[in-house]
Amino acid sequence: MSDLTGATRQSPAPSTPARARRGRPQSQWWTVWVFLMPALLLFLYFKFIPMFAGIEMSFQQVRPFLGNLWVGWDNYARVVTDPRFHSAISNTILLGVGQSVGAVLGGLLLALLLEGPSRVLWFIRTAAFLPVVTATAVVGEIWRIIFFPAPNGFLNSVIGLFGMGPLRYLEDPAIAIYSVMAVGIWQNAPYYMVIFLAGLAGVDRSLYEAAAIDGAKLRHRLLYVTLPALRPAMMIVMVLAAVRCLRVFTDVWVLTGGGPAGATEVWMTRIYSLGFERNQIGLAAAASILLLITSVVLTMLAVYLTRARRVK
Amino acid sequence: MKYTTTMPRAIAPLTLIAALLCGSAAVAQDRLEVWSRSGPQAAATYQAVFDAFTAKTGIQVEYLATVEFETQLRARAASRDLPDVLIYDQSSMAGYANEGMILPVDRAALVGADDLSDASWDSVRMANGDYYGVPFSQHAQVTFVRRDWREALGFDVPTTHEELIALATAFATGDPDGNGVNGDTYGMAVPGTTDRGFFAWWLSSYMMQRGGSFVEGAEGKYTVTVNSVESVAAVEWIQSLFCGTPSLVQPGALTNASATPFFAEGHAGIYQTGPYAIANFDNAPGADKYEIIIAPAGPGGASTLTERTSIYLGATSTMPDAQKALAEFLISPEGQEIGMTAPGQPVVRLPVNTTLDGAAIYGDDRWRVVEAQLADSQLMPSDIDFTAARLEIAEGFQAMFAQCAPVGPALDNLALAISDALADQDALQ
Repeated sequence: MSDLTGATRQSPAPSTPARARRGRPQSQWWTVWVFLMPALLLFLYFKFIPMFAGIEMSFQQVRPFLGNLWVGWDNYARVVTDPRFHSAISNTILLGVGQSVGAVLGGLLLALLLEGPSRVLWFIRTAAFLPVVTATAVVGEIWRIIFFPAPNGFLNSVIGLFGMGPLRYLEDPAIAIYSVMAVGIWQNAPYYMVIFLAGLAGVDRSLYEAAAIDGAKLRHRLLYVTLPALRPAMMIVMVLAAVRCLRVFTDVWVLTGGGPAGATEVWMTRIYSLGFERNQIGLAAAASILLLITSVVLTMLAVYLTRARRVK
Repeated sequence: MKYTTTMPRAIAPLTLIAALLCGSAAVAQDRLEVWSRSGPQAAATYQAVFDAFTAKTGIQVEYLATVEFETQLRARAASRDLPDVLIYDQSSMAGYANEGMILPVDRAALVGADDLSDASWDSVRMANGDYYGVPFSQHAQVTFVRRDWREALGFDVPTTHEELIALATAFATGDPDGNGVNGDTYGMAVPGTTDRGFFAWWLSSYMMQRGGSFVEGAEGKYTVTVNSVESVAAVEWIQSLFCGTPSLVQPGALTNASATPFFAEGHAGIYQTGPYAIANFDNAPGADKYEIIIAPAGPGGASTLTERTSIYLGATSTMPDAQKALAEFLISPEGQEIGMTAPGQPVVRLPVNTTLDGAAIYGDDRWRVVEAQLADSQLMPSDIDFTAARLEIAEGFQAMFAQCAPVGPALDNLALAISDALADQDALQ
């Protein structure tokens, strides 16, 4: 640092104001840290310290007033051998994969339908995006009304027109998870739509024209022009979906609370129930740490796969 | 030179944040912090009680009403800074006491303690004989029936389970609301949510009436009876309400957080719940439209669940005298009466203070029914932490009724789960 300032001072022609402005931040390396510090402090206090406390608690029987007891790997052993966690994990995977695939496909379809500069489309796109910005608790209540299981319930009247019998969407253990999945798809698809729309806007128009001149039909253009051009957007969406699907909680919680008969119990609802209903904070912490590890591994895997493809 | 002036400016936000993070601890406490699990209506009543307390003693009260009571309390427990006084369900006492979050109460030193019945004091006694709460409010679950519907269909007030089923079936299949459509109303409103194990409370009354039970015992030692012959028969009867044809409960009962709207908005005609619902139901469907009756009797009798609210003293409090003063005021005739009559919703449903006549204070004979039902009611185990067992019961029953499968094997599994929950705290006989 001293060299640098020395050099500027020794330079025969005194630096222009513009150069001086450019030079100063480089000379004060700690400026960067000072500007980062507020965010880092907040992260430290609200994220990293609680996270390490969580790791510590996962090895303890947590008793705020009597002092925590060290139980070693006991919590982890109980979580890993708990059959309800096994079913929660398989529900998480089923729900996550179903919601992700459904929402990505739905988002793509919406984007293809709603692409273009027209004002009407702009309005419809805004309307389609509404589920994303609506609070999940509100969405849950609306869907509880739509799913009302009486024959004169909203959705049951609709499917009744096609001669299908009334369904108990959220109460029948066999179909409750698919009802939750449908709500998740409805809520997430517009989010992915926006990413796809951005991707579509970047597609070179001349490629379409060239394809049209070559006599390509709509499906050919879609397969050989649009989809390959969307690959970067697709990757972002896939990574987002994979990471999001593990922490599904709010929609399940407001729709079914994990019931009926544990049919929609997922990883996060089980953690919530253990920690806040049964007050077994240590067990809940262990389950959370396992979730964290899984999320990190999945994210690294997704990033690795994306990179591997880019290198190719 | 310019830097020497700008850098402190950049650091200023940091100092501010540091001050925000560390600064709050030093303020000395001069107000008694009191929490209750209440919605806005009940909170208004509590506020009136505390205002009277402050006027009388000069002790300021900082009151927080929250419906996320447990979650918020856990957060405060983690920081070892609890409210000074907690007013909450009796069912939570044992858990808090086991964790050292609340202090034992010296019954003999409490002014007015003798005005409370022994039954009240028994409810706040832990298995080791110590009292960990002060009784504040009591009631039993009662049965709400749409009188106008019942009369429209020509039924008498049901006094037995057979008559209850007949009435519920008529509500579910007939046209009690007179809108010309048969079967668009439901028999019973049921709160089947497993949140906080809520379903177990509703179930326990019907279990008792059918001669069944979840556990039996006393003094901190219990036997699991949920899969006994009597209990299996009881559960089969309750299951038939959900799984029979027609189903006698409202659709979606098992995932409903609250069944109250179904009764209030005229969708269901029978609802077993606490008398705290009276204030709501007087608004809708209207006081003239419904009646409160003693539970129709089954083979096991007409008992229902006793529900109690108690006062707990937070263990981290630095104001023990003020804690005691508030508890004494809350059980005094004056405190109890304000808790019943102040605008809002009664937070003292029936007074624990035996010198008071609840129904006379309300000037409402429907509370005589609640009093009569209270005399024939039972508390869930409250000298042990029954929370985990209650959650298992709620979740187990919800599964049985959602699947409509034979209950025997499911009850055996549930019995094992309850046994584990009790064994965890050495409460298994």
